[in-house]
Amino acid sequence: MEITVLFFGVLAEVTGTRTKHYRDIMAFGDLKHRIGDDYPEIVHYNFRVAVNNKIINDDPLLSPGDVVAYLPPFAGG
Amino acid sequence: MRLINGPLTSAAISEIIAKGGENQECGAHSLFLGQVRRDSVEGKSVKAIEYSAFEEMVIMEADKINKSILSEFDDVKALEIIHSKGVVKSGEISMLVMISAGHRDHASRACAKAVELIKERLPIWKKEIFEDDSVQWKENE
Repeated sequence: MEITVLFFGVLAEVTGTRTKHYRDIMAFGDLKHRIGDDYPEIVHYNFRVAVNNKIINDDPLLSPGDVVAYLPPFAGG
Repeated sequence: MRLINGPLTSAAISEIIAKGGENQECGAHSLFLGQVRRDSVEGKSVKAIEYSAFEEMVIMEADKINKSILSEFDDVKALEIIHSKGVVKSGEISMLVMISAGHRDHASRACAKAVELIKERLPIWKKEIFEDDSVQWKENE
């Protein structure tokens, strides 16, 4: 399936992109590995992950077309 | 909830206060303004902050904050949240929270609570820009 990944804040700078599309993803673990291979430096940063605008704590079941966002610690206000 | 480009001007703030007057059942408005502070880090001062946001999620989460405040403080009649995106200079206003309530107790307590929830839950990021144009990403404590 195809999954869209969004990077924000410092992670958009580190990866050099805000949006990336991944094809042939079987599961979330698969996506994490692909992202880790493409951007190995992100392991040095803290972040949470949201799927379709909801923050998740455990690896979610993904569906085709889902949007996965990598969110560094918030700093609003 | 609104995200605006650049700082909140005094004209925009005045307009929001004036709009609060339309709620004639209210006896109190509590207003919080967040200002970009000229922090000093290793001898360099912050001249501006650049904000970025996951806008779709900001709107969804702000809606949840709105509902949570209205259910916790039953005297609150209206809530206004505005946050900047893009560059805001030191001394300029980057966030406004206004709570309108029947009485001052709920207005002030709900305002403090809303500010805490905004800092904790809204996916907004800030990069400090120093006088020498170097930058540093900043997190909420």
